[in-house]
Amino acid sequence: MPCRFSVVLILIGSTAASGQTIDFNRDIRPILSNNCYQCHGPDEKERKGDLRLDTQEGGHEFAIVPGKPEESSLIERITTKQGGLMPPKKTGKTLTEKEIELLKQWVKQGARYATHWSYVVPKRPELPASAKHPVDAFLLAELKKKNLGYQPETDRYTLARRVALDVTGLPPTWKEVEAFVNDTAPNAYEKFVDAQLAKPAYSEHWARTWLDLARYADSAGYADDPARTIWAYRDYVIKSFNANKPFDQFTIEQIAGDLLPNPTEEQLVATAFHRNTLTNNEGGTSDEEFRSVAVVDRVNTTLTTWMGTSIACAQCHTHKYDPIAQTEYFGLYAFFNNTADADRGDESPVIEIGITPAQTKLRKDLDAFATKLDAAAKKYPKEIQGIAKIQVDALKKASATLKPVTTVPIFQELQGNQRRVTKLQHRGNYQDLGDVVTEHVPEALSPLPKDAPKNRLTLAKWLVDERNPLTARVLANRIWEQIFGLGIVRTPEEFGSQGELPSHPELLDWLATELHRTKWDQKAFVKLLVMTDAYRQSSKVTPALLEADPDNRWLSRGPRVRLTAEMVRDQALAVSGLLSAKMYGPSVKPPQPNFGLSAAFGRSMDWQTSPGEDKFRRGLYTEWRRTNPYPSMSTFDAPNRDVCNVRRPRTNTPLQALVTLNDPVYVEASQALARKIAVERKSANEKAAFAIRQVATRPASEKEVARIVKLYEDTKAGFAKDAKKAEKLATDPIGPLPKGTNAAELAAWTVVANVLLNLDEMLMKR
Amino acid sequence: MHPTLQRLQNTTRRHFLQASSLGLGSLALLSLGASASTDNPLAPKKPHFAAKAKRVIYLHLSGAPPHLDLFDYKPELVKRTGENCPDSFLKGRRFAFTSGVPKLLGTPRKFEKRGKAGVWMSDAIPKLHEHADDITVIRSVFTEQFNHAPAELLLYTGSPRQGRPSMGTWATYGLGSESENLPGFVVLISSGVQPSGGQGCWGSGFLPSVYQGVQCRSKGDPVLYVSDPAGMDRDVRRQSLDALKDLNEIQEKELGHPETATRIAQYELAFRMQMSVPEVMDISKETKPVIESYGATPGGASFANNCLLARRLVEKGVRYVQLFDWGWDFHGTGPGEDIRDGLTKKCATIDKPIAALIKDLKRLGLFDDTLIICGGEFGRTPFREGRTAGGNILGRDHYPDCYSLFLCGGGIKRGHTHGETDELGFGVATDKVHIHDLQATILHCLGFDHTKLTYRFQGRDYRLTDVHGNVVKGVLA
Repeated sequence: MPCRFSVVLILIGSTAASGQTIDFNRDIRPILSNNCYQCHGPDEKERKGDLRLDTQEGGHEFAIVPGKPEESSLIERITTKQGGLMPPKKTGKTLTEKEIELLKQWVKQGARYATHWSYVVPKRPELPASAKHPVDAFLLAELKKKNLGYQPETDRYTLARRVALDVTGLPPTWKEVEAFVNDTAPNAYEKFVDAQLAKPAYSEHWARTWLDLARYADSAGYADDPARTIWAYRDYVIKSFNANKPFDQFTIEQIAGDLLPNPTEEQLVATAFHRNTLTNNEGGTSDEEFRSVAVVDRVNTTLTTWMGTSIACAQCHTHKYDPIAQTEYFGLYAFFNNTADADRGDESPVIEIGITPAQTKLRKDLDAFATKLDAAAKKYPKEIQGIAKIQVDALKKASATLKPVTTVPIFQELQGNQRRVTKLQHRGNYQDLGDVVTEHVPEALSPLPKDAPKNRLTLAKWLVDERNPLTARVLANRIWEQIFGLGIVRTPEEFGSQGELPSHPELLDWLATELHRTKWDQKAFVKLLVMTDAYRQSSKVTPALLEADPDNRWLSRGPRVRLTAEMVRDQALAVSGLLSAKMYGPSVKPPQPNFGLSAAFGRSMDWQTSPGEDKFRRGLYTEWRRTNPYPSMSTFDAPNRDVCNVRRPRTNTPLQALVTLNDPVYVEASQALARKIAVERKSANEKAAFAIRQVATRPASEKEVARIVKLYEDTKAGFAKDAKKAEKLATDPIGPLPKGTNAAELAAWTVVANVLLNLDEMLMKR
Repeated sequence: MHPTLQRLQNTTRRHFLQASSLGLGSLALLSLGASASTDNPLAPKKPHFAAKAKRVIYLHLSGAPPHLDLFDYKPELVKRTGENCPDSFLKGRRFAFTSGVPKLLGTPRKFEKRGKAGVWMSDAIPKLHEHADDITVIRSVFTEQFNHAPAELLLYTGSPRQGRPSMGTWATYGLGSESENLPGFVVLISSGVQPSGGQGCWGSGFLPSVYQGVQCRSKGDPVLYVSDPAGMDRDVRRQSLDALKDLNEIQEKELGHPETATRIAQYELAFRMQMSVPEVMDISKETKPVIESYGATPGGASFANNCLLARRLVEKGVRYVQLFDWGWDFHGTGPGEDIRDGLTKKCATIDKPIAALIKDLKRLGLFDDTLIICGGEFGRTPFREGRTAGGNILGRDHYPDCYSLFLCGGGIKRGHTHGETDELGFGVATDKVHIHDLQATILHCLGFDHTKLTYRFQGRDYRLTDVHGNVVKGVLA
């Protein structure tokens, strides 16, 4: 027996074998949570045999005798051969030898429980051994344990493109890259980073990530999916990033801007964050049902976005894994249950933007006057009524000139006897109500301040309070994931006991406290990450390195991930010179194929392409219709934004290839790029080198130039024989050939440009 | 290639293709079959147990057809037509468009038992009468949702709210596809309108988007962007892809990124799809008798065309074909929504094609292992719809408590009726089949234990049937 034991100890790895203490959060909680909590966890209704294993009190009550595995029924039941083996066979779950040994060791060492790591307020850890950059200190310490280290710094061309894409979502210009490569100053890189951070494009790129969380769209969803005017909220997000608004302020404005003293227009627009919920206008639907659905979505989105906690299960029953009771879910629901919106077709309440109070008052007066005059006119004879009508029309016309720029749905708190009473909904059914529940937060999380009023403003402040253990970690992790490809917690949507443990727990805590220390400065945080040596490494890999760190979880090389849908589009437009720099305003309609279909009970899915430069705006300004999102972007994994989206998949599919090869948007970009190439320099070789430089912002190798020229010559020969085809490919859809150009040459360069825009390196940040 | 690198390349590709690593999600995929170790996430995989059906054709009649005028014959309701609806059926209930006390409405249609099995069918679907002995009608389906969008989402994703993966996604995720050059899950829409549930009905939710439904069309590009730009012929496309491959390989050699090889492979697959998709979508390739048997017209976009396309697609190995046909919302707000003439006309557009589909699949030996399901998202009331009750047009309101649909083919009893409603058709009397039970049964026919076909997201193992569902053994052959 002792012999077998030692074999197992080796199997269970360094933890126990080296005699280290079992760590409840790292070693035990995942086993208990995955295998036992469903019946022996927080949910009282599901609890079997009166045994609760998710708390020390429950565990030690009778199932565990600390220090004595052989006397503990917990161990007996998971190892028995007599029947009654746990977990029961019908659950389909079995414990591995390794897990059983870990549990035995844990009991032997006293079966100490610990609060789930993410529910403990992060403390700023000591920095490990010295490194230039604190983040590198943590990363290198881990790499060292694995006998790994960093790769050398990547070349400046690669670095410039990588960091420009991460900071602005756009590739750098060749001019910028050239200046950076030739800059001999010791802080050349930092200067380059600062220049990128200072661009307005930064705010557009990072706003996009937030808009996924906010489930921002230009339609209301469900069957008819009518248009919704809410782009002022999108602009609010961009402006907030542009101003580098501290994240706590950004939070409070969006959750409870309407409850701030004398809220500004901007603070009211911010509350549209939670007016991005769907509205169901289908005939015969109950507004109360779908209002309740919207409130549920607001609770879930809030908890997911700020606290990385998927709480949705608790809508119907007490959470099976995390200590969140159903009553506590409705305690959160209560905070959001008293806004004036109610699944109405007109989206009320809305506010008008871009109109002064004086103008609004004048409009009201004009309208009132017109109504009065109209009524008064009726007392006069017919022929005189005509004169009055001219006056009424003039008044109406004047009133109509006092139009707002746009409108936006907002939060408005109900007052007095209009206020709703929140009741628990049995199994999440809005018609099956239970006891009254008042506003409160789950006990397992940090408490609300004692004397604060129980309202959304207090909740908003609670979210960004430094004593809230989750928010800073969740934000730090999300930004980290954007920059490095994988989160420190690889499940950014789930920090609870069913989520993955952080790969670098101390680093995550340090980063969280850094957000606190810098008063939630997101721009500084992005800079902090891109200034690390980890970020600046080469992304080159070898088979050995792939074996040692397959997912690059330990950052043994530079990050390399596929660009997002918007980045793929924006980059193609940018390098071909088509991209419009215009910011803000109503959403636009770039070209999309005609479907010949309508939404159910709704409008046609087809649209008229926006004129002028609006055809070439950045992807985030594209009109987002929930039932038919812009097809080329959804092919590149853009969500339809029905619900809060934390993480986009990064797939690689043949349908994506068809988009970037054949979508008229990309064909037009190829044609524009071809025209640039055709007028640039003299020889085909020089033109080819220019083309690579233009798209990949790096010098071309001779081999590459040769291959491009071959493609050019081969296809040009064919086009020379078929003028019609040549002209089509060179002009449809971009427009007639420029004066003095040759159709066959332009067509061949279009083929080349089309290839270059499809290079693997163009689809990747690397 | 170095064996370790090869393995890692595959691992990395798989990882890459899977919404990054989702822990058990990857394990679940791996455990689904040996062939999952290849780099193609759509490679065919073995289900949990031997399957009776290898593929699915789902014919959705969007808007919810009036089952009381098609399959569920209620003579007692006919007798009591025009009487006030008994209070017990209305108390505490909400209907979409009916308030007050509506009048009972028995079917004005002729019903007869059809086939040797004696399956009740109305005269609205004469061609289907010939297939009474091929199908199982379930008359005891029920749902909780009585608005179109939530009901369709519940049917296709297991939840009335947005965000979950669709049934076709689950099937393709579990089984992969038999076709190398076509999407594994194809959606075809007729009558010019999207289903109410929107693209969520074929979305991949939190599953990798390679498993989402791809909408194919009869007009324009059959699959979006499948055609080369104007002026670029196939030779030039080939030349350009050769150059692309060479350029990518130069970079791959220098940097060693294994995903670059995957990208090259995806472009080659795209090139093959450019050939195979237009070919399979061109129904003029069929013989005249076959085209005529469906009532299809090459170049059109009808339900008939889509039935024929469905057959062509499954023949080529597509795993799951989902049809949506708009126009089954029989409220009675216009002559097209009258359960007499209106229903006759609407049924004429699907009756012949469905019958032809069954016959054609039999002819090709595909009927036995192709599962066909046909029905709507809920039922319709045994009383006249409130808004239209005063007029001449007979219509019915939305009704979730009971309705009928039929299944046939792989794994399903032939010539069978399952379940019964009460004598007035207000509720299920025997053998209740919830939407989750239907889903469990479909997955069962495909060889899956619905409780074990899972994907981990937000720390939870999600499945199509949520935490519900029982296989309806009574309909299984």
